Amino acid sequence: MSRRLTRWRADWRTGLTAASTAIREKLAFRANFAGTMLTYGLFIMVFSRIWANATAGGTTVAGYRYDMLVWYFIIAEVPSFALGRFFWSLSRDMKSGQVAYLVSRPYDFVGYQFWERLGSALPDLFIILGEGLLIGCLLTGGLPPLAEWAGAYSGGQPLAGSGLAWLAGQGLRALLVVMSLLLSGSLNFYLQFSLAMTAFWLEENDAFYWIFQKIALVVGTLIPIELLPDAARAVAVWTPFPYIAYAPARIMVAFQLPEALRLMAVQLAWIAIGLVLARLVFAASSRKLSINGG
Amino acid sequence: MNELNTIQPARRTGRLGAYLRFMGMAFAVNVKAVLEYRLNFLLQFFGMMLNNAAFAAFWAVLIARTGAVGGYGFNDVMFVWGFVSSAFGLAHIVFGNIRGLSRIVLEGSLDVYLLQPKDVWLNLLASRTIVSAWGDLAYGFIILALLPGHGPLHWLLFVALMVPAALIFVAVFAGAESLCFFMGNSSGISSAVSEFLLTFSLYPEGVHGAWFRWVLYTILPSGFVAFVPLRIFKALDWPLVPLLWGIAIGYLALSYCLFRVGLKRYESGNRMDARV
Amino acid sequence: MSVIQIQQLTKHFRTRFTPEGRGKALRAFFRPQYRLVEAVKGISLEVDEGEVVAFLGPNGAGKSTTIKMLTGILQPTSGGSRVLGLDPSRQRQQLAWQIGSVFGQRSQLWYHLPPADSFRLLGAIYEVDKPVLARRTAELVERFGLGDFFDVAVRKLSLGQRIRCEIAASLLHAPRVLFLDEPTIGLDVVARREIRGLLQELNRNDKVTVFITSHDMGDIEKICKRAIIIHHGEVVVDESMKDLKHRALARKYVGVRYQSPVTFAIPGLPPIKHTDRSASFEVDTRQHTLQEVVNKLSALGELEDITIEDEPLENIIADIFASRNEQSARGVAVGLAGKALAAQTLAGGQS
Repeated sequence: MSRRLTRWRADWRTGLTAASTAIREKLAFRANFAGTMLTYGLFIMVFSRIWANATAGGTTVAGYRYDMLVWYFIIAEVPSFALGRFFWSLSRDMKSGQVAYLVSRPYDFVGYQFWERLGSALPDLFIILGEGLLIGCLLTGGLPPLAEWAGAYSGGQPLAGSGLAWLAGQGLRALLVVMSLLLSGSLNFYLQFSLAMTAFWLEENDAFYWIFQKIALVVGTLIPIELLPDAARAVAVWTPFPYIAYAPARIMVAFQLPEALRLMAVQLAWIAIGLVLARLVFAASSRKLSINGG
Repeated sequence: MNELNTIQPARRTGRLGAYLRFMGMAFAVNVKAVLEYRLNFLLQFFGMMLNNAAFAAFWAVLIARTGAVGGYGFNDVMFVWGFVSSAFGLAHIVFGNIRGLSRIVLEGSLDVYLLQPKDVWLNLLASRTIVSAWGDLAYGFIILALLPGHGPLHWLLFVALMVPAALIFVAVFAGAESLCFFMGNSSGISSAVSEFLLTFSLYPEGVHGAWFRWVLYTILPSGFVAFVPLRIFKALDWPLVPLLWGIAIGYLALSYCLFRVGLKRYESGNRMDARV
Repeated sequence: MSVIQIQQLTKHFRTRFTPEGRGKALRAFFRPQYRLVEAVKGISLEVDEGEVVAFLGPNGAGKSTTIKMLTGILQPTSGGSRVLGLDPSRQRQQLAWQIGSVFGQRSQLWYHLPPADSFRLLGAIYEVDKPVLARRTAELVERFGLGDFFDVAVRKLSLGQRIRCEIAASLLHAPRVLFLDEPTIGLDVVARREIRGLLQELNRNDKVTVFITSHDMGDIEKICKRAIIIHHGEVVVDESMKDLKHRALARKYVGVRYQSPVTFAIPGLPPIKHTDRSASFEVDTRQHTLQEVVNKLSALGELEDITIEDEPLENIIADIFASRNEQSARGVAVGLAGKALAAQTLAGGQS
């Protein structure tokens, strides 16, 4: 038992070291990130105008008001801008032979990759999130109301209860949104890792990623899934795509604790599936690697 | 061998003819390159189609829910994506260096163009082509073929509008890149300008506020590469076509002047105090 | 007839510099500070038709800046120049028809295309008629031995192959003057020799005036009849290659290493430095022939290694400064630095 515990702690330490190294490395190249921030900001501006137009006269679209749609977009885009570019770096490392070299190191490859890549994405996450919060507040005049939290949804009236309850609600929501975003990032990682590993069989596997990315874009990133036609939505909820962008964004704009917990539970379930998939693909590909002699 | 000195470069061809011959040659050579990298090209084309299809799905869903957005119906949105894509593609096929200009200047590689007896700006911009841009060019025509109710006249008008729009892209991109003469590394500004111009062009004009439209008809002329062409196209308003050409030439002239003024400050290679 | 005339040509650059220190760096961002660099300080010279002129000088002497002003790439700060009767600063395009140029560090070939395609594109740029272009391309391919790789993308060529293509390409439009800026930089000995041979032949057969810059004496020793040395933006030597050779090659550096310790006692030839088994000597060949020196050295003991090196260009320049008694203080300083450098090269050669 205690040996297992030691093993666990060692794994954790390796993981955390990998993450913090990556964070520091990333901070040194901060300048590169300006372009991403610019694009993110630009997209929010343009889409906020689209939503303003689509909800002109105070109408709602599939139950979403203007401010909800803007905040939805701000949060839903975070995984693609800050936690969604794992495929390219993984794929590049694979093709350059870097991975073959990393595989030989004495630690769990999939786990190490996970911590390193996620760690290196964390600064991006908080910068993008900060930018999104700022633009969102400027565009809609504040955070989306917590009306649903009180279970007293009444045409967008902010919660009229005590300040303490409000604060608790805000805090809880913020915590759950960030957690859900991290789950999105994890799911993104395992799915993209599985896609990237196909490089062992296929020279040009970029197309898989494009398809993945574009489906994710339509299913929950650009628009809430409630806007999709019924048939499409019925299919979509059984795929992992809504749990990349939709889940955290939904928690942000229509916060209800039971729904939030349910969404995050499904996120976890998909992460488990993604993890198994990633390990299977990796096991198959490393066999391939040893056959080819690395 | 003694012939070397007796042949002087033939200058019988007119200036314009010579430029066209050079551009035709660059074009032909690059078509060869497309064939050489055909897998890569096909992948890029596939990726672009996929990307555009994703946004088409977004618009289809949205417009089905809310009706026209910013005055655009679904067909309008499709037309604009196709048209802007074609114009953007054409610009990068014929003037493939529009986004590499500042890099060339900062690296000091402009020397090579200065040593040749052709206009530096034209020579520089035209001496490269972007292979994947062929896909972008094709996309507009694919959309045009898919959209209902377009006769030969529409196709002709599409081309007549696409060329000035492409020239405006060239003028704005090259102009933004030319800023590097004045401020060293301007890649941040120029990539922002090109991304903004492209993005604003792809979304309906009507969603923007009145004051912002001023921007869209001046420094980021999405108005002239997307909104105005859409209006002309829908109304088959031929008399306005020359006007668009005139505007395009105006933008080109401004961009060209900016480059010439900048060129005077050019200090070849390692002397530029730029941090790339 | 002179094809290049340069009168009091100067070029100053203003470069921005950031002072050390955080606060100062910030201030410099808002109010940049500039430093004036005088790259070329009043050069005057003439080059006749058919001459092969070497333009020599250490890195940063102003060679490239001068050649860039002569080809119209850079605008001079003051003074003027005429190339083939044209003013490069104002008639760049007209001039471009008649001059060819190879800048060792900048390629005029399309990187991803085979030279064949580049030649076709350059033919279009220089408006060479198609049949003429075909004939000239064939000639140049044969003469420069490009046949084996004429259809291979430039990015896959070796540097030597690429430079051969560059020079051939620069001749496509039959220029009357050829400017070469460090054409052999980074090339190995064999490739260097090839390039030199080609240039020599070119000048002999076609009477093309060649203006070549280099920081390598060996480059131009064989092909140039006249050498111009510039240093700190000024012409310090303008004389026939024969005279320069006499001056430059009179002095050799000889390094020796023996299998067992020896005493270095040769009358009139003290070593500039030595250990018990190795030494280096500065030999003035006007006083001792090399043969004589080598004989004497080999008589001292069993030789393990012997190296003979020319005097570095820096030393020649330093000596010129010193002997002219102009700017004496600086001359001596440069001279000393040069000597130290030579000693270092020598030590490097021995180990």
